Amino acid sequence: MAMDSGADGQSHKAHRSRHSGASAKKKTKAKNKDQNSDQKQQNPKAFAFRSNAKAKRLQSRAVEKEQRRLHLPVIDRSYGELPPFVVVVQGPPQVGKSLLIKTLVKHYTKHNLPDVRGPITIVSGKQRRLQFVECPNDINGMIDAAKFADLALLLIDGSYGFEMETFEFLNILQVHGFPKVMGVLTHLDKFKDVKKLKKTKQRLKHRFWTEIYDGAKLFYLSGLIHGKYPKREVHNLARFISVMKFPPLSWRTSHPYILVDRFEDVTPPERVQMNSKCDRNVTLYGYLRGCNLKKGTKIHIAGVGDFSLAGVTGLSDPCPLPSAAKKKGPRDKEKLFYAPMSGLGDLLYDKDAVYININDHFVQYSKVDEMGGTTNKGNKRDVGEALVKSLQTIKNPIDEKLEKSKISLFSQNPNSSLEAEDHNRDSDEAPKLIRDIEPLKQYQSNGEEDESEFDLDSSESSDQDEGVPECAMLKSEGRNFEEGNADASERLGRVKEQVEFHNGRKRRKAIFGDGVDHSNLKSTDEENEGDEDDDDDDDDNDEGENDRSNEDNESCSGSEFSDGDEEDLKSEEDGMGNISKWRASLVERASKKQNINLMQLVYGKSASTSNTSANEVKDDSENEESDEDEFFKPKGQRAKNSIEGLDGGNINTEDCSKSTKFSELKNWKEEEVYESIRDRFVTGDWSKGALRNQMLEAKTEEDDMDGDFEDLETGEKHESHQKDDSSNGGIQKEDDDAIEERRLKKLALRAKFDAHYDGSESPEEETDVQNGGKFHRSQANDSGYYDKLKEEIELQKQINIAELEDLDETTRLEIEGFRTGMYLRLEVHDVPFEMIEYFDPCHPILVGGIGLGEENVGYMQTRLKRHRWHKKVLKTRDPIIVSIGWRRYQTTPVYAIEDQNGRHRMLKYTPEHMHCLAMFWGPLAPPKTGVLAVQNLSNNQAAFRIIATAYVLEFNHAARIVKKIKLVGYPCKIFKKTALIKDMFTSDLEVARFEGAAIRTVSGIRGQVKKAAKEEIGNQPKKKGGQAREGIARCTFEDRILMSDIVFLRAWTQVEVPQFYNPLTTSLQPRQKTWLGMKTVAELRREHNLSIPVNKDSFYKPVERKARKFNTLVIPKALQADLPFESKPKNIPHRKRPLLEDRRAVVMEPHERKVHALVQHLQLIRNDKMKKRKLKEEQKRKEVEAQRAKDEQVLRKRRREERQERYREQDKLKKKIRRHVEA
Amino acid sequence: MGKITYKRLKGSQNMRQRLLLATLKSTPVLIEDIHAGDTLPGLRPHEISLLRLFEKLTDDCLIEINETGTKLKYKPGIIVGGSHLVHDCGFSRAIGYFLEPLILLGLFARKTLVIILKGITNDSKDPSVDTFRSTTFPLLRHFGVPSEGLKLEIKSRGVSPHGGGEVHLTIPTVQHLTATMWTDEGMVKRIRGEAFTTRVSVQLGNEMIYAARGIFNRLLPDVYIASDYRKRLEAGNSPGYGISLVAETTSGCCISADTTVSYPRGDEEEDIEDEGKKELIPAADVGEELASVLLEEIEKGGVVDSTHQGLLFLLCALCPKDVSKVRVGKLSPYGIETLREIRDFLDVQFVIKPDPSTGTVILKCWGSGMKNLSRKTT
Repeated sequence: MAMDSGADGQSHKAHRSRHSGASAKKKTKAKNKDQNSDQKQQNPKAFAFRSNAKAKRLQSRAVEKEQRRLHLPVIDRSYGELPPFVVVVQGPPQVGKSLLIKTLVKHYTKHNLPDVRGPITIVSGKQRRLQFVECPNDINGMIDAAKFADLALLLIDGSYGFEMETFEFLNILQVHGFPKVMGVLTHLDKFKDVKKLKKTKQRLKHRFWTEIYDGAKLFYLSGLIHGKYPKREVHNLARFISVMKFPPLSWRTSHPYILVDRFEDVTPPERVQMNSKCDRNVTLYGYLRGCNLKKGTKIHIAGVGDFSLAGVTGLSDPCPLPSAAKKKGPRDKEKLFYAPMSGLGDLLYDKDAVYININDHFVQYSKVDEMGGTTNKGNKRDVGEALVKSLQTIKNPIDEKLEKSKISLFSQNPNSSLEAEDHNRDSDEAPKLIRDIEPLKQYQSNGEEDESEFDLDSSESSDQDEGVPECAMLKSEGRNFEEGNADASERLGRVKEQVEFHNGRKRRKAIFGDGVDHSNLKSTDEENEGDEDDDDDDDDNDEGENDRSNEDNESCSGSEFSDGDEEDLKSEEDGMGNISKWRASLVERASKKQNINLMQLVYGKSASTSNTSANEVKDDSENEESDEDEFFKPKGQRAKNSIEGLDGGNINTEDCSKSTKFSELKNWKEEEVYESIRDRFVTGDWSKGALRNQMLEAKTEEDDMDGDFEDLETGEKHESHQKDDSSNGGIQKEDDDAIEERRLKKLALRAKFDAHYDGSESPEEETDVQNGGKFHRSQANDSGYYDKLKEEIELQKQINIAELEDLDETTRLEIEGFRTGMYLRLEVHDVPFEMIEYFDPCHPILVGGIGLGEENVGYMQTRLKRHRWHKKVLKTRDPIIVSIGWRRYQTTPVYAIEDQNGRHRMLKYTPEHMHCLAMFWGPLAPPKTGVLAVQNLSNNQAAFRIIATAYVLEFNHAARIVKKIKLVGYPCKIFKKTALIKDMFTSDLEVARFEGAAIRTVSGIRGQVKKAAKEEIGNQPKKKGGQAREGIARCTFEDRILMSDIVFLRAWTQVEVPQFYNPLTTSLQPRQKTWLGMKTVAELRREHNLSIPVNKDSFYKPVERKARKFNTLVIPKALQADLPFESKPKNIPHRKRPLLEDRRAVVMEPHERKVHALVQHLQLIRNDKMKKRKLKEEQKRKEVEAQRAKDEQVLRKRRREERQERYREQDKLKKKIRRHVEA
Repeated sequence: MGKITYKRLKGSQNMRQRLLLATLKSTPVLIEDIHAGDTLPGLRPHEISLLRLFEKLTDDCLIEINETGTKLKYKPGIIVGGSHLVHDCGFSRAIGYFLEPLILLGLFARKTLVIILKGITNDSKDPSVDTFRSTTFPLLRHFGVPSEGLKLEIKSRGVSPHGGGEVHLTIPTVQHLTATMWTDEGMVKRIRGEAFTTRVSVQLGNEMIYAARGIFNRLLPDVYIASDYRKRLEAGNSPGYGISLVAETTSGCCISADTTVSYPRGDEEEDIEDEGKKELIPAADVGEELASVLLEEIEKGGVVDSTHQGLLFLLCALCPKDVSKVRVGKLSPYGIETLREIRDFLDVQFVIKPDPSTGTVILKCWGSGMKNLSRKTT
């Protein structure tokens, strides 16, 4: 023992296995042999199922697993180019969010980002763009960020561990559709101990997994190198981001939304000067996401409110994907980025202008030159000088970017933009004139005032001023532009679109327009002005412009290049030179419209205008129709009298879907008449009938061409060429036939190919879109319904694409609205000035489209569960802040629970661990929308801020929540089984309301309310002539009640849900301020130092019950006498004074006395005997009991042993059997 | 709480579509100048009845009419539907007038709609209830409405002036419709129909059938026209007769036509007596005429007849955000009006292309993405 203990102290020598020698050989031999034998004995059937039940179980499990993997396929209705994916970087303060964005941007673009403000769009690959957004640290910002995030990077301080913000954000994400999430651990360099680091990583990872799913990616960023994250790790992170797939989320696919990456105030400056707190007009820029946006859609700006769109314009993409040329990966030069809020985009695209800003240190010419550049604006510089200047300023990336990017001076869809602008201009006409008179002063002063603000004025000036001298422009812009680098006077080149026309190719133009090449600009200035005037005149239907437009028409022929469908239009305009392009575009538009001739007939021209400007008053639809019909006189072959009749002002025509007139019928008995439709019957020629349908495709395309219109403005007629040609002769016709035949054949071939292609290709496409790819192939064959569903969706998608492709761009815009992925400029009017004043680029603005019926307010029923981390239960009617859809608002819910019979019973507080219903009033959201509830918005709160999560069940206008009510009354007069009950009701009317209601006394006697008590019976006024007391009810009971009984009526009463909602206007106040809304009762009490009111009756007190005293039963003597003996009362009460017989003394005889004594003796003896026997018996019983207990114990012991033995036996047997089976 | 902004409209035209679309999109509307210039200004009885019907089906809707009845304020509620509903349609318009909006309303209701409609079942102005059964319900099937739930029972027939008809209508609810590509009109393979008489000689019905068959027989052998001769209580309160015909095509389109002959409704009580003496159109002529009308509808082409164009467009516009494509014959005034109302309310425009070779029109639209919001989730 002693030796052992001594050895314990030493470390054992590790075992060293033999590597050579005999024993080593032996071992290897054995090993080899073992392997060989294994291979020989391998039984392919060894792992097959032996047991039927087991096989079945496993099979069903496999099927179940498969089914669990399936999700209802979601239709992705975004066709075309995808908008950049939004990567939200979220985390508690000081965890390295900005640094991560900076390093990622650096990784992608090789640019240093000075500071992160607002969304930063970058091109990350050939097919992919990303938009990085830093999530603000307050709960409102987090909620908004969760609504637009495609990927959330949750930054976690590894040295500190998880913080509440992370979990809060995860919860918010979950409620608003769960986008992709990736955790990123930072601050790992604080660990000195490797083991500890490893442990912490492990711990955090597992905690992260429980929150999301097992295997969720948690990324580690180990420390900083030169103040940046290590390159390799950032590279890896970027790789992870680049391969990520983003599943469509249901709310987002059904609502358009825009993450605003540029925001500008376009209020006329006079208005602001007059009243700095006037409502502003703002423009919001961003990529359209979610689904298509129609022009009439209302929008919600998160934290501001609902607005209707004053104008929507599609702009050219400021950060386009690299061209489709085949090469490996994007070249560095194509790695664009765009972050106007961070002041880094270099290029700002507006509706009608492009701004280029170049950092001072990139401008390499001398200061003198610069001065000259700005001052000599007016003078014409010679070409060579300009060229040199431009060459000096060329910075490689910018140059390349410009070359790459499409600078469209017209927006992609000229139609809408022009029209939108027209509308704006209409309204702005008057202010503009004033501006023209003294523009310089104004802008300078503006610049000084708003230096602290962002570059609002620059946009203003660009948008609206026309006659402002260029130098003034520059100056003002230089001054206004972003705070930080005031000395680094940023230069803004202002390139008007007209410049483009001057030179033919617009792209080139934009490169030169970088603040040096103003000479060119200047030269075209007059034309610009002319054009602008022209534009204005357009609206006024100025007849004087007609000649010019004619010219346009003629010159509108040459187009040299085309970059795709969208550019076609522009290119043509380019060719025109310096003639009025507005007119031209109008003509062009008109010519495009030829194919929707019938559309004009139906919709009138108003079709296009009414939708462009959403702010138009709706009630003028009537006028429009009539107006436009005069405007465009269709020359079509179908003169529809009936339509004109309807338009002609008879607004009260009877609506009647039947429109047949018996009088105009053909005589169908005539042979030629009925033979004419012979082919429409199965008895006719089938081939001809079939042709009817096939012709469709081919024909419609041609139809587009014929049809002509007349521009009343210019008085000229535009007739399609084809029509003219067709008049040339029959040759054309024959040609047409041939062409048609060919086309038909082609179509048939295409259809055949399509069918083939769809069948084979679609599953693979789907996998790309929806699944992780690897699942799909395995289940393609077995899950039939699922596949069918997916196929249907895919088919629908293909049909949609095919049908929409057919349409030209203008019509398409009208039909389907702006497509997702487009860069849009939204104009919104009458926004509170606070939005401008308190705008903070670090808080991204979310603009969400409002769906069908979502602008209405009403009651919503939600299924709500208190969050398990929130410490308290929630109280009915305490205000909470909910986030539903795009909105956040404060509302007062009433909680309820559904009883077994479907009744919704009010709850005073939410259940602790259960779902309940919450009904509240507010803007409606469609069923199944997630709801998130918060009570406290402040940041300095340690506890978990999310108090509950819910989802919308239904809308309910009539809120049907009830609570129990107990009406208590007391009898005031009792008849036999009828009683008058007072204090239960306050008026006879109330009694009438409750007639027939069931009532009950405390003792359980049931009854019914009959009627209000009449005056005669027992309800007399106390004094004659006084009014009878109201509210006394006559009730009947099943038995007579007592005066001491309490009668109560149990009923249900409706609970009102307060009609209160208060939208959160967090964007209209300084960001650091907490939003103040309605306070809870508890908060108010705390503030006013009020105690909680208590109802004394509600206290529990010890119940004191007096013993009930009953009077003795008195049976009249006469009755008693008649009773039979049995029924006679026998327990005659004890008399106070004994009866005479008892009082009498008894004197015994001597003999009698003897007998009496003897009897007494005998009794004594017997008593004694009995006592002894009893004692003996007692003892005996005890003995027996003891004995029995002993026996019992022994028996139990034996039994247990027996049992053990038996079980052992059984177990052995089982084992044996199992072994047998396995063998 | 907030101020309600009403969409302002004028006149009583397209009242049905306006109210229907307003309800479906829950836009409050304000209609002014309703029959303002007429000698009897204000809403017509059938329009009031229609408003009543809407009120019955919806929850918390608000209808305000000024004293003269020329101004109507309508704030729609949530479409509830439900069973055990009874509505008296009155005698100024037939049940068909009410059925058209009712069908769409029922589809987007919270609960299955079961309603008893009383009034005039057949009349020459509105499509008859037979047409709804034979044509409209198959039409709905193209938009993903399950055909099992759709039911229309004619308990008794009633014609103008005194009506007395009763139909039981059941409409299931849908989550959303499905977009359709429905341009193949096919060829007419069979013609079915139903001739009815109420309180007149059965012989008249037979005459109609005979006359109609006479025209069709030259084109198609598969013609079967059922007879439905009502007696006593089932025959309503007024005498009349009529016929409705349906042509079914190989591609499942139904093209219908119907008419009814009865004594018109006079404005005053005495007039009825006078007009009662007026002779009705002979039954044989009615049959012949209606057969011609049907052939004319077939000649026009399209997947539906002119009566159903409005409904077809509405259905297309209410589809999810997918492309629907349909072919119709010459656009009927009602269809055009409907298109305009759809544009105004739902912001959905159709691409309308004529197909001159067949004289038909092809309409394409991008659905509004309508979903049944009132249905409860579980």
